[in-house]
Amino acid sequence: MREITYRQAINEALHEEMARDDSVFILGESICHEQWDTHAGLVQRFGRERIRDTAISETAIVGAAVGAALAGYRPIADIMFSDFLFCAADETLNQAATHRFSNGGKTRVPMVIKTAMGGYGSGGPMHSQCPEGFLWHRPGLKIALPSTPYDAKGLLKSAIRDNNPVVYLFHKMLLDNTGRVPEDEYLVPLGKADVKRQGSDLTVVATSYMVTMALEVAEQLEAHGLSVEVVDVRCLEPLDLGTILASVDKTGRAVIVDEDVSRCGVTAEIALRIMEGGSRPLLSPIRRVAAPDLPIPAGHLERWVLPAPQDIADAIGGAMGIKEPILVKGASAEPGFTVG
Amino acid sequence: MAGGDSVNPAGKGAGKAAATTAMDGPTTEQLVTLYTNMVRVRKLDEFMVSAYFSGKLAGPFFHSQQGQEAIGVGACTFLRSDDYIWYTHRGHGVCEVIAKGLPMRSFVAEHFGKATGSSNGIGFINTCAPELGIFGMGGTVGGESTLAAGVGLAAKFRGKQQVVLCFLGDGAMGEGSVHTALLMSANWKLPVVWICSNNGMGMWVPVSVAYPKENVADLAFGYDIPARIEDGQDVATVHAAVQVAVERARSGRGPSFIEFKTCRYGPQVEGLGDYSLDGLRDPAEIERWKQRDPIKLCAQRLLEEKALAPDDLERIEREALAEIEEAEEFANESPLPDPSLLSTALYAD
Repeated sequence: MREITYRQAINEALHEEMARDDSVFILGESICHEQWDTHAGLVQRFGRERIRDTAISETAIVGAAVGAALAGYRPIADIMFSDFLFCAADETLNQAATHRFSNGGKTRVPMVIKTAMGGYGSGGPMHSQCPEGFLWHRPGLKIALPSTPYDAKGLLKSAIRDNNPVVYLFHKMLLDNTGRVPEDEYLVPLGKADVKRQGSDLTVVATSYMVTMALEVAEQLEAHGLSVEVVDVRCLEPLDLGTILASVDKTGRAVIVDEDVSRCGVTAEIALRIMEGGSRPLLSPIRRVAAPDLPIPAGHLERWVLPAPQDIADAIGGAMGIKEPILVKGASAEPGFTVG
Repeated sequence: MAGGDSVNPAGKGAGKAAATTAMDGPTTEQLVTLYTNMVRVRKLDEFMVSAYFSGKLAGPFFHSQQGQEAIGVGACTFLRSDDYIWYTHRGHGVCEVIAKGLPMRSFVAEHFGKATGSSNGIGFINTCAPELGIFGMGGTVGGESTLAAGVGLAAKFRGKQQVVLCFLGDGAMGEGSVHTALLMSANWKLPVVWICSNNGMGMWVPVSVAYPKENVADLAFGYDIPARIEDGQDVATVHAAVQVAVERARSGRGPSFIEFKTCRYGPQVEGLGDYSLDGLRDPAEIERWKQRDPIKLCAQRLLEEKALAPDDLERIEREALAEIEEAEEFANESPLPDPSLLSTALYAD
């Protein structure tokens, strides 16, 4: 099978869905030549009516997407950095998320908010954040956060076809990663987790870029006799708790890894759901790896805040009752993405 | 303040806006319909206030629209059914949605929290009638404005000459979302008519305290949107001014902004005092506005023109009250929503 990049996978999904359905269009700021280069060829093929550059106004981008969705279209609201989505908090959290509910289930809001998440680029607190904790807190949104090119394409296609507001979070550090993607059309359904690595001693439940990091760590721990299973949640809403519980029931141990800050975050929520839903006593307490409760610093101190491979290895070692730290290497924690 | 003069808001520079308008008033037959609708919504608003105080409403508030009926009724009565409207918390849209064609029973049942309400009993202030181009309202002031722009974009894509009327209060002009929506509508020539009911009060803060300008239409004019200031008490004026803007939108020439000067007779919300009378607005001013009550003004004209006789006015009121009585009975007899709605309403299949 051919290999393409995560960036190309996103681009292919957009091309295919826009060709398939005339009601799909994209609006956002500077999207004809999009910052992350996921829009190659779109404006040439579909024109500026459907690839609509806007003023720098996240409020209008997301709000207009909600309105167009209500009136029968399938807009994709493009938000350059997920940090900027908070400028459209009312439109995202109040309007998009609750519209159908507040109107007795009589409306549909089929739209996608496509935005770049994550740190490891030393970009500072307003160009590095992970918004999934905030977003997951709000009932009414669906949230997809792919870790591989295959998932990036399949999930985006499903998100565009979904009849609800879906926040599609792609990670800046993953854009150049390559992976197998079939030439034939396929979808990855929203709400299906994926076991990315089989193991028997412990389950790592991870999101987005942290899946890549966890896999890197798991490979190294294999040499130390540890068999680590890695579950990629792929979507937080709907959450495929069944796949997570099945894995933890098998291994008896869990480490949850998410790049967002830990407080009230994804790691806390998944950990509690495992404790509430598991069918056997755990062999050790659940551990989590997430950013400490700090803004993301710009420059060199970023690496002291964002999760690193050694943090994951330490959490796994701790859960396994291993006293001595197992040292691991990890290219994934090196500053990676650049912009502009 | 209560004058009916049309003013070019931005002074001499507004000539362009005025030049596009040639206002024709409603026919006598249309005026009778407008009058009838104003009586219907005034009586319904009065009923909602009494229902609030007798504890019948399923939600915690009602924001009476009495005094401002001419605007919603004049603007919405003769729209196409596939045109869209976005209303505000003022009257919970009573003037706009009823004039657009929503049956009273849907409005009352929704406010009683019944399953037969327009939002199946869990929307309260949200009247949802997609078949009439009504998608509820939301809850944040001005929060619908960007959605209205998006609906306008959809209408433009579809190319069937649909228009979007987005109602705002003067209070919404402080919201950034409103300004960014105005900008988008102007930039893309969206078929949106922005209708600002300027009653001079944002909750209990007068326009003179909140803004550097008395006329909010000036702000829209800055976005190159033709903007006018009109008399919000005269339903014939409202109808004519909105028609001009609607035709402009239908023909693809873009948005308009109309500021209607009007008065909120009551407090911001029922059940609380009218704190605006505590030195912020003169009670005598409200009385002066009431001399130009929209229903009274319209009745005078219809009687003078002998379009209606006093008996007709009584009949119209009687029929409105009968309609409300029927709506109340319908709402009383309707079931509460089934809790299963909570699981089906959040996500669409």
